[in-house]
Amino acid sequence: MIRTRIPAVLGAALTLSLGLTHAQKVDTIVIGVAVAQTSNTALLGQEQVIGARFAEKFLNGRGGINGTPFKLALQDTGGDEAGAINAFQNLITKDRVVGIVGPTLSQQAFASDPIAERAKVPVLGPSNTAKGIPQIGDFIARVSAPVAVVAPNAVRQALKLDPKIKEVAVLYAQNDAFSTSETGTFQQTVKDQGLTLSTVQRFQTTDTDFTTQVQAVLNARVDLVIISGLAADGGNLVKQLRQLGYKGLIIGGNGLNTSNMFPVCQKLCDGVIIAQAYSPAQASAANQVFVKEYRAQYKKDPPQFAAQAYAGVQVMVEALKALDRKKKLSTYDLDDLRVALNKQILAGKYNTPLGTISFDKEGELIQKEFYVAQIRMKDAKNGSFVYLK
Amino acid sequence: MEFSQFVQSLLNGLAIGSVYAIFALGYTLVFSILGIINFAHGAVFTLGAYFTYTLVVGEFSNNGLLKGVALFPGGSPLSGNPLTFALATLLGAAGAGLIAVLIERLAFRPMRSRGADPLLALVSSLGVALVIVNLIQLLVGAEIYNFPSDAYGETPPALSFTLGGKIVIIRTVQVIIFAVSLVMLAVLGYVIGRTKIGKALRAVAENPTTASLLGISVDRFIVITFFLSGFVGGLAGTLVGTAFGVAGPYFGVTYGLKGLAVIVLGGLGSIPGAVLGGLVIGLAEAFVPAEYSAYKDAVAFALLFVILLVRPQGLLGRAAIQKV
Repeated sequence: MIRTRIPAVLGAALTLSLGLTHAQKVDTIVIGVAVAQTSNTALLGQEQVIGARFAEKFLNGRGGINGTPFKLALQDTGGDEAGAINAFQNLITKDRVVGIVGPTLSQQAFASDPIAERAKVPVLGPSNTAKGIPQIGDFIARVSAPVAVVAPNAVRQALKLDPKIKEVAVLYAQNDAFSTSETGTFQQTVKDQGLTLSTVQRFQTTDTDFTTQVQAVLNARVDLVIISGLAADGGNLVKQLRQLGYKGLIIGGNGLNTSNMFPVCQKLCDGVIIAQAYSPAQASAANQVFVKEYRAQYKKDPPQFAAQAYAGVQVMVEALKALDRKKKLSTYDLDDLRVALNKQILAGKYNTPLGTISFDKEGELIQKEFYVAQIRMKDAKNGSFVYLK
Repeated sequence: MEFSQFVQSLLNGLAIGSVYAIFALGYTLVFSILGIINFAHGAVFTLGAYFTYTLVVGEFSNNGLLKGVALFPGGSPLSGNPLTFALATLLGAAGAGLIAVLIERLAFRPMRSRGADPLLALVSSLGVALVIVNLIQLLVGAEIYNFPSDAYGETPPALSFTLGGKIVIIRTVQVIIFAVSLVMLAVLGYVIGRTKIGKALRAVAENPTTASLLGISVDRFIVITFFLSGFVGGLAGTLVGTAFGVAGPYFGVTYGLKGLAVIVLGGLGSIPGAVLGGLVIGLAEAFVPAEYSAYKDAVAFALLFVILLVRPQGLLGRAAIQKV
């Protein structure tokens, strides 16, 4: 008897905890931002906070949601799955958000997105590029292009720069879902281009000493090295490859697409090719305003993570504006608004710093423009991503 | 395994193992005196690197309360040549030593004076570690900071030769790390084994009550122990930071865990054991084949497990004597 009751009681508790917002009218529009502000992922999450805050200031300055300002509720996810789940639950039940932009890592998304899916809260992944994210559920979409679309461009560009490339080494952070997903795409692209995959080396995002991997690369005598990792480990790997005498081309994956890599490999970052889902050189008006504002405040070009977080908030706001024009947001119950917002997000088309974007019915991003850039260092600390046409 | 790979792994293992050894010495010193593990040692290691970075570069970017601060607009006087960099390293290590003393005052002494269970001091040091790490992030953000390449990071490889058609390369920084570690171990060995301070420290470690009756100020020598522990931890932090960059506020966490493995493997409280344990773990990691190097931490801890099954007291530890 007891046994049959326990699930029922747990179910009721869960319903209560996730359904406290039932039949409550929406007085203030709050958009949740759940990214890593602490832990070793904070490097990316802090850029996302900057991007989201930029969007809040800029879009509210332009009238918010048809004259009504919106608020951001920020929750720190830390760098692990438990932190992301906790942040999502707080945003849904405590902050009563209409939707969530987050989390930072794909690995976290696989854990926390189902929470939002069950509560019927729309989620926009700002930097979740691993395979299978939009398929988590109907309420899950992303503004970050999947690696399968972005990565091959860099290999093609490397072949343009050096047509003699034959032997390739691939290195990836095996403890990071995004990197393992990205390396699969890179390895497939290498084969598709008729190149030889001479060696595959694994490491951890927390590693600092890459002597063993570099040694293997040097002894394989490759013409091209492809790295899938994050800024700290990826930058260190580039540095140690160059210090130990590797002179060929290096391609960095999406995790290396941040100026935070510059202080790591300093002058040795020079020449690294990066496939990008965002470029400061993108000519749209939306992007140029964003770039100008960002440069004024931070004295450098905005990184991809900031741009994608900005785009995530912008998409939510524009979808809310479209809804508000049809029916005043203040007349919605929160639950109904969340469902309506999810539908509207998937229906719209948006001019963001990433260019024009929209979504397919699963929530997968449809983005037309991708970029390949090469790092050019001015000195030991300052560099830029030079867009390769 | 090819001979070239064997030589390369041996050299890599000695370099990283020597860092583990001096880092673990900090743990060992405190354990031998107080019989407890100072969990804040990893945070002190991190601080040592940040202190040296502040002296050599002193520029903080992007996030954190010190955003935009540049202490030396015209370049630091301690940057640009190996001698001044060495001085900055020693100052950074001394700063870390002072922080370790502060940790003793805040986290350990109050517990000791109340006769609290050693476990409470351990937990309180863990709390201090978390506070320090988060303070670092609050002040300077989560960015990676790097020492300037002209400190000694980007000099050409110290050694490069071919064995059986395969390259063997040693970075200059690895040689420096190994040499500094050896010097540090020798100095510490001399201080503890041959000086009055060392004798007093050993007396306090043996029996604080008896040492106190003999006129040795136990509290003073505990402070000295914490300073030495922080100093070697901070020095290890700068050495690692120079080789691989100061990889954010959390970069001491992995070394903290590794240091624990080292002292348990070598034998709790044994200084030669810490050295041997560090070298064994470093070599075990280095000999993990390249394609499985992501598992090197698991290998190190698996080795620890196996050795403890055979020798529960560690490689050079003394077996506990049970009175019957």
